[in-house]
Amino acid sequence: MSSQPKGAIDIHNLRVVFGSKGSEVEAVSNVSVNVKPGEFVSLIGPSGCGKSTLLNIVAGFVNATSGTVEVDGVPVRGPSANRGVVFQQYSLFPWLSVRQNVEFGLRMQGMASGQRQTKARTLLGLAGLLAFENHFPDQLSGGMKQRVGIVRALATSPQVLLMDEPFGALDSQTRVVMQQILTNMWQQFRISVLFITHDIEESIFLSDRIFVMTARPGRIKAEIAVPLPRPRTPEMTASTEFISLVQRLKVLIREESLAAMGSELKDGGLTGFSMEVGPQGIGEML
Amino acid sequence: MGEAISLSQKPSAPGAAGAAPLPKKSPEPTPAQLMAAWLSRNYLSILLWCASLGLLFAIWYFGTKYRFVFFIRFTNIPTPAEVFDKIFEVNKSGKYLLNIGISVRRILAGFGIAIMVAVPMGLLIGRYRAARDLLLPACEVLRPIPAIAWVPLSIMLWPSNEISIVFITFLGAFFPILLNTVHGVTAIDPVLLRAGRCLGAHEGRMFWHVILPGALPHIFTGFAVGMGVAWVSLIAAEMISGQFGVGYFTWEAYSLISYSEIALGMLTIGVLGLVCSGSIRFVGKLAMPWVSYSSGSNK
Repeated sequence: MSSQPKGAIDIHNLRVVFGSKGSEVEAVSNVSVNVKPGEFVSLIGPSGCGKSTLLNIVAGFVNATSGTVEVDGVPVRGPSANRGVVFQQYSLFPWLSVRQNVEFGLRMQGMASGQRQTKARTLLGLAGLLAFENHFPDQLSGGMKQRVGIVRALATSPQVLLMDEPFGALDSQTRVVMQQILTNMWQQFRISVLFITHDIEESIFLSDRIFVMTARPGRIKAEIAVPLPRPRTPEMTASTEFISLVQRLKVLIREESLAAMGSELKDGGLTGFSMEVGPQGIGEML
Repeated sequence: MGEAISLSQKPSAPGAAGAAPLPKKSPEPTPAQLMAAWLSRNYLSILLWCASLGLLFAIWYFGTKYRFVFFIRFTNIPTPAEVFDKIFEVNKSGKYLLNIGISVRRILAGFGIAIMVAVPMGLLIGRYRAARDLLLPACEVLRPIPAIAWVPLSIMLWPSNEISIVFITFLGAFFPILLNTVHGVTAIDPVLLRAGRCLGAHEGRMFWHVILPGALPHIFTGFAVGMGVAWVSLIAAEMISGQFGVGYFTWEAYSLISYSEIALGMLTIGVLGLVCSGSIRFVGKLAMPWVSYSSGSNK
């Protein structure tokens, strides 16, 4: 919670290949992404484009085949409390209360019980969750669980926050509220965020910059700066700037979704309709 | 942190995120109120429990009263009253209670050792492939051997009869606890392991703070099953090689053709088993308060 922005992420020439020799699948190909200290960057792309893989590498769960990942100049080697992760699935420990979940990282750092309790309560207060500190995660709604998940990831004061479609499982109304909460928290903590999503509006509303990824193997197709001012408000989603950005991203992503589906359809998906189509063909058809 | 308050005050946030129904905290109800509340919530269950036990008792009572004979024969079965009288008769000397005490002691020893060995071993097997490859094949070979088949070897193996009976009780409890612990570890949601690691938990702390609590519901299932098998094993061992214990008491009654003592012995085993499994459930509830909130557990 220092006032100095921190957490530069540098992903350079990253390549990831899954599978054993002979049946190798290239998931990510030659990707370079950088996040400046305190910046909010989204990665968006069609499903299966390797965006989650990319995040897992930065988190330290998966090793890259080649290329480098550095956070504040230090190469990533395995998971660390310096890189907070918010998962797509609910990942609170069901046997710990909300407060104990938030304390978990501090406890691993060896912080004394009283101290970490104070810190956890402060953070829960910021997220409007103090009334639920003694509840178990199974007593909370999905939106609240993810808020606790964010608070828990922030508790150890990480350099960066990595978020893997954190609102993917929530209904659209809850989603909008969560986005607002996240931008507010992000502005307070001045932490860099790498955010994975497939939701175009979400990425624009939250981000300073957006990287669009191609269908597998994932490459960076475009880098788009979001010129909307801060703090962001829900009203901005009706502005012409916002809408034109949505249009632009939609076009970029649709091309990739079709390309992704095309490679599947080519393998006989449309033969039943006696059609002869390749990736480009479907694009024109639609 | 001064300006930080702004977002916490958003009244829409918790509501819009869909607050789950929360149990209301009322000011400290008295035990009598708690009891009444519990009764009113569970009266149907209580009724069914009574019906369940009542049916069993009715079959016994009427079967012995009218000396029912149709393929199954109630001719020599003692009546409930005879068995009830027997309770007072056997309690004139301390031998009956001594038998119970000795059986319980054997259970506690065998079951306790089984917990201490099977849980750590199960955690290791569940977590590490090498431990699995090293330990599991040996376990799988020994597992199908029923406890009674162990009796002769056990008597040869251990220095005293008492220890060999405890050993057989241990064996009965060991495998259910081991297998359930292994299953508990492998069933932990991988995202919880990732969450633990990216919050700075190293391997040793993962065991204590993530893997053990994550596997605990399954471990307690293992305890419940293991306790049942431990009793089965104990009674078998006592019947064959014991000098004391409820199993010995029952077998001795059979040898002496004392019908009502046979029934009393059986009932004693039933009640002791019930108390033991009830205690495990009780301890499980205390140790895992979160489980009652998991979906589907209160159906």
